[in-house]
Amino acid sequence: MSNSFIWWGIVIYIIVSLYIAYLSRSGKETSMSGYFLGNRKMNGFVSALSYSATTYSAFMMVGLAGLTYRGGVGALGFEIIYFAGVTLVAFFGPRFWLVGNKYGYVTPVEMLGDRYNHKLVSVVIALASCIFLIPYSAVQLAGVGYLVEGMTNGGISFTTGVVIATVLAIVFSFIAGIRSVMWTDSLQALLMIVASTIVVLLLIQGLGGFREFFGTLEANHPETLTVPGNGFWSFATFLSMTVPWLFFSLSNPQVSQRMFMPSSLKSLRTMLLGFLGFGLVYTLVSVLWGYSAIIMFPGLENADKATPSLLSSELVPPVLGLIVMVAIIAAAISTIDSIMLTLASLFARDVYGNLRKGVDERRQLAIGKIVMPIIAIMAFAFAELQLDLIAVLSVASSAGLAVSVPAIIGAFFWKKGTAAGVIASVSISGILVLILEMTAVKPFGLGSGVWGLASSTVLFIVVSLLTKAPTEKATEFIDYVNSELKQKLSPNKS
Amino acid sequence: MAKRELFWGIMSILVILSAYFIPYTVLTGVERWYGSFLLWILVGVVVIIINLFITRNWRS
Repeated sequence: MSNSFIWWGIVIYIIVSLYIAYLSRSGKETSMSGYFLGNRKMNGFVSALSYSATTYSAFMMVGLAGLTYRGGVGALGFEIIYFAGVTLVAFFGPRFWLVGNKYGYVTPVEMLGDRYNHKLVSVVIALASCIFLIPYSAVQLAGVGYLVEGMTNGGISFTTGVVIATVLAIVFSFIAGIRSVMWTDSLQALLMIVASTIVVLLLIQGLGGFREFFGTLEANHPETLTVPGNGFWSFATFLSMTVPWLFFSLSNPQVSQRMFMPSSLKSLRTMLLGFLGFGLVYTLVSVLWGYSAIIMFPGLENADKATPSLLSSELVPPVLGLIVMVAIIAAAISTIDSIMLTLASLFARDVYGNLRKGVDERRQLAIGKIVMPIIAIMAFAFAELQLDLIAVLSVASSAGLAVSVPAIIGAFFWKKGTAAGVIASVSISGILVLILEMTAVKPFGLGSGVWGLASSTVLFIVVSLLTKAPTEKATEFIDYVNSELKQKLSPNKS
Repeated sequence: MAKRELFWGIMSILVILSAYFIPYTVLTGVERWYGSFLLWILVGVVVIIINLFITRNWRS
């Protein structure tokens, strides 16, 4: 594909999405919940599309296809385990939503600080989230870099792709905060699902139809249809990669924060079910892309180049390939801008707001806006290192974030959980994950996510039992949730 | 946690466990599209159905 053709695609995308971002403005937002939560009035359909675009992005189309290319069907299982984990939203969504409305929480971390009755809880988890989400943002940027470089055969460099993505992420978040992010996300999600599905249908048709497509795989690459397959997906690897992923919907603040935003439980339902429908199709599409690349381009050096090779192949019409490429870039950006917004809100409200006394909303919002580009630049620097396979890096980030899961579950279900328990479990287990990741040590063949989660669970329970729980707050919080749920979700009420 | 929630919680856990263990036991030798590939897609569909049931009473 020629460079000028690709540049035209990128320019059109920038103009259209800037226009949509501009339209999404609704007066000047001066409050934190206005800027970061859309005043808790987001409708279900936009929420569903935006949740999809935030979750699925460069990781899926480039990373999951690459992972399928590398190890076969285990990649599908890995993503389906994540998908099944989204069921956690069906349990925790209404709970987050109820307490968010009652107590006015802007971030999930703020909720934990209040529930465990200690500011340091918020500070520690907010800092941990920053440490682990920056590599995750970098993964998205690297995805864009690989994509443009691969599709132009190096005509547009990795770094140029990464710079474009970084700048756009900053601009989209600045225009109208979460509103511009969610509306641009929605456009991108629709574009992605339609264009990528058409591509996969063309590929399968071009490779002889469904029967022959799988016939070729069964005959020439049978190991790609089973686990452990070619050995990549040993059970220990599968477990290590899926365990942190299973809890993604709770542990990643940029998605768990979304549970505060819908205007009603009905909208929350639309968000969840809409996302699941989108997710299953998208997962399948990404895996089939990986399979197509196995058939068409066996022997690629870097598995993350599977998608760019497919898009520039003769089976995909150039205009469609370009549309999908732009859609992938767009979705990578939408993930980064959501993460930037969340991290900015965490830093402004939970770190700055807690460590300095008497900081009002305006000041927090100003700090948040200063922090956003700094986060983006750090992610940019990280992306330039080109450390490892996209999928592997993503999992490492979720491993670090998963250490807060016991504290989140405990907030709603265990009155004896304490601030000391949370702080010990998150900080010690977070450091454990960092050490395991940096030294690449895998005790008993299991990755950092499994050990991090196990250690944080044990520490949370043991330290909590040894310290005094904030009984009054815990009782008020949990009893409120339970009584509201009973009332709101009883089947008989019309 | 209400009984209804508990029931669906247990169902979800069972489905997730099956997604871990069936491909690594029964299906390790089935090098066909109707092996692990199909199983995991079916798990995805069942997950959607479970979520439809859990959220049935969520109103505005």
